[in-house]
Amino acid sequence: MILAADKSLHAMLGTEEVSQRWVEHPTSSLLHHDKACCEEARLWFMSLARSMEGWSAAQFELKAPTWLSQEFEWGPSIWPMSWCELVKQKTIDCGVFAVLAREIFRAQGHEAHAGQCLLRYNETCCNHWKDLWKNGMPKVDGKKPGEVFNWVGHNVVYHEVVIVELPDQTAKVYDSTFNQWYEPEGRSGFAGLLAVRSEGPRLLRWGNKTLSCGEWVDL
Amino acid sequence: MSMTKKVYISGLHSGQNPTAGAGIARCLRKAFPKIYLVGVDHWQGSSGLHDAILDETLLLPRWDQINKERYVAQLQEILDAGHIWIPALDVEVYWLAQNFGTHPNLLSPSGEALQGTAKPDVKGFANLGFGVAESISAFSPDEEAHAFLRQNSWQCWLKGPFHEAKRINSWDSFLRHRHDMEKDWKTSRLFLQKNNFGSEESICFAAVHGELVHAIHMEKRLITGEGKTWAGGVKPLDPALLSQLKKSLAQMGWSGGGEIEYIRDPDGKNWIIECNPRYPAWIYGAAMTGMNLPARMLSRALDMAFIEPKSPFPYFTRVVQEIPVREAIGLPRPPDPSLNKWPVGGGKGKGGPSHSSYLPPLRDSMEFRRDDVLTEEEESIKAVPPKTPSDSYSKEVETMTESFNGETPLRIPMEHWTQYRFQNLLDRLQATKASSPEIRIGFSIKTSPTDYHINLARQSGFYMECISQKEIHRAIGLGAKPSDVILNGPGKFWPLTTPPVTGLHSLFCDSVEEFNEVIEIPNISQCIGMRIKLPQLSSRFGIPFDDFEHFQRILAAIRKMKGRADLGFHFHMASWSIGVKRWKEAFRSILTWCQSVEELTGVKVRRLDLGGGFFPADLQELNFAWIQAAVRDALPNVQGLYFEPGRSLTQEGEILVSRVLSVRKPEDEVAPSEVVVDACIAELPLISNYPHRMFFKSSDSADRTLVLGKGKTKVLGRICMENDVLSDGINLPPDIKIGDYIIFGDAGAYERTMSYDFGRG
Repeated sequence: MILAADKSLHAMLGTEEVSQRWVEHPTSSLLHHDKACCEEARLWFMSLARSMEGWSAAQFELKAPTWLSQEFEWGPSIWPMSWCELVKQKTIDCGVFAVLAREIFRAQGHEAHAGQCLLRYNETCCNHWKDLWKNGMPKVDGKKPGEVFNWVGHNVVYHEVVIVELPDQTAKVYDSTFNQWYEPEGRSGFAGLLAVRSEGPRLLRWGNKTLSCGEWVDL
Repeated sequence: MSMTKKVYISGLHSGQNPTAGAGIARCLRKAFPKIYLVGVDHWQGSSGLHDAILDETLLLPRWDQINKERYVAQLQEILDAGHIWIPALDVEVYWLAQNFGTHPNLLSPSGEALQGTAKPDVKGFANLGFGVAESISAFSPDEEAHAFLRQNSWQCWLKGPFHEAKRINSWDSFLRHRHDMEKDWKTSRLFLQKNNFGSEESICFAAVHGELVHAIHMEKRLITGEGKTWAGGVKPLDPALLSQLKKSLAQMGWSGGGEIEYIRDPDGKNWIIECNPRYPAWIYGAAMTGMNLPARMLSRALDMAFIEPKSPFPYFTRVVQEIPVREAIGLPRPPDPSLNKWPVGGGKGKGGPSHSSYLPPLRDSMEFRRDDVLTEEEESIKAVPPKTPSDSYSKEVETMTESFNGETPLRIPMEHWTQYRFQNLLDRLQATKASSPEIRIGFSIKTSPTDYHINLARQSGFYMECISQKEIHRAIGLGAKPSDVILNGPGKFWPLTTPPVTGLHSLFCDSVEEFNEVIEIPNISQCIGMRIKLPQLSSRFGIPFDDFEHFQRILAAIRKMKGRADLGFHFHMASWSIGVKRWKEAFRSILTWCQSVEELTGVKVRRLDLGGGFFPADLQELNFAWIQAAVRDALPNVQGLYFEPGRSLTQEGEILVSRVLSVRKPEDEVAPSEVVVDACIAELPLISNYPHRMFFKSSDSADRTLVLGKGKTKVLGRICMENDVLSDGINLPPDIKIGDYIIFGDAGAYERTMSYDFGRG
């Protein structure tokens, strides 16, 4: 299943100590305490999402929640995270962005599924992101960096996205952290998409690729 | 290619808004290293002239200094000698089509082909299947243009058929840009078009004598502040589109390059923007990705071999690069610093010569463009002759002023029309009675607090919508009961020197603090609610819901109120200001917030007040049944659905009669250029916010009242204020004289309540 078709990708991941953790990592989800604290937060957020759609997007079927990146900064998050904790945050990681976008797409009436991907970056960038997490983590919960999910490698990073399933069984892949729709094409350079995994229960066509539930697909 | 043959490329400036000449030259040099390139321009400052890639330069005089016959003969000589000419500036393409015509060596579309590029339809490429965004003529009657802008939430474009587009976000900006564009481009084919959101993409093509050579698709990746492509991705055109494009170009007999710009919306539908009849300025970017259209075109035109290497990565971007200036051309000297203008709108820069400064002469030289030759119908749009009253509004104006000879300016109520508006609303309400929730009306007293209007509202069974204790007492003074009152606004308890009236119908608070205080006042109101301030809608009013902690305070306050009064919510954003579509979206969003509050507090929403601010025609069109159904589905416990019209009932129902004080008529002109009247912006403070119907009445002929249409005469107010212009252009009878009357319709509502004394001594 996993990342075997592309030998260069396989070799690249071989240099990443934590690559096995990435490919086995479950997608993010928010906890709900089954109490008013979380339900108030969830309904407030979903109402806010409806208001933030704006009339210009309202005329379209697919309304990407681009406003999320105006509401939250990207950075380390505390895990596990609940709805009642989410609403206190100013900074969230890609996992939270993806969960929120997924909920919003579903509220709009779309089939939206959790998605993961691996992206290529240079080592300098990766080192800066390691610092960003190292410096940001104590601020959010006082944990040491070693206790949080290590998403940054030497040249490859783990990222969470949303898989939107269209009625014709095709997929669209949305990066809710940086407001981009991915193209189903691999690329070797900076921010090149290496592999994608969908948790959609059905087989979905994405360009000339097929996304199958739980399978990593090499680009 | 024989070295004796030259390729002339015009339009070489490569600035912030670059033309394609420099890019075309680079494309040809890349493909044919020995080709002889001549760069042509009409401005010494054109930066591409200095590019070392050119073998020769031809600097011509400014367009307004060109002798057309000499220039046409020179072109003929060049082309007859077998040389090639590729124009890269679209205004020049039009000039050539209309002043020179076609030639096998002129790689530029004909006048007939250019007609197929006219916006908004761009009919020549209709078979591509792209959508055309809704549009209307910018010279439609003003009330229709205003309605179009309201319907599209003031997010539209004003466009010329071939050139230029301006964003329109207000009535004032529409009037200003329409005036400027009409003057610049000398066309009355301007139109207003709805903005479509989406990503910007292009199809760029090359053709020779109607035969498609190649076409590519470009997705813009980086766009400058001026909307110009800075980086993009290029790929071959989809085969289905390619096949259709081929047919289009064959039908038009197209020669040269072209670019079809369009929007791809989030649902994947394509909407055409325009077709530029020349290569885009980024054309060399495409050549670097392995799709060199100018080279393929020249190869086809001159039957030269050309094999293109493919680039592995089909993207391009631009860099800014300094190059040495050719001594033979030099640079223009800066103008005297005293000519420098202070940039408006916070812009930077110090003025100085620019590429655009030489374009107006080219536009002016295009006197014989086909789009300047107006049809009778188009002429009639621009100048609408005065006509005798035929509709009921005009006839009532005629009747009201039939024997008028009093002091002016004078405001006169149109009672029949006002009654019609009230009755029309009652009739529409009657049609909704069978459905729930029941629709109820609160008459907005602040809009028009006359005895007549308040009494008419009471007789109609409307509630009294008040914003102060003074307004409540005014309504009570005319027979209303406290239980008829809906109280709103940030200053609802003013003046504090009188105790607040209790036993109201509804009261909507503007803050959580106010809500907590109000619920402690015994028997203040049957229904107590909050005015919601929605995220993303800028307003100083209402309670913001976009902060979670604040939202928790709202929930706590509502839980505390439980059992003391019915819960209501209020929303008021004038639909005529935010636009009808945006208002509908806001309404849907309100329902979601109300549902969340109900679910979290267990307190049911009983009343929903959707406020006022409707333009008369919009209230007329408002789909009450749709609103009822949406409320019924989302909030089944709502018993009363309220609207608070004021403007929509009373704005049309008053006229302002003014007298002509002065007539200014240039010699040899039939129509006056300006008239001064004794009304002014003090009596009509909203004159530039929306269109007003206007009428003429002769002072010596009682039976001569005319409805006025668009024209060239400005109507100026009586006071010494620069902005006291009551009309930018109206068509008046040529024999208008001092003492005649000009009557302004639609002068009720805020035109009256916000008017002020000025210049009366």
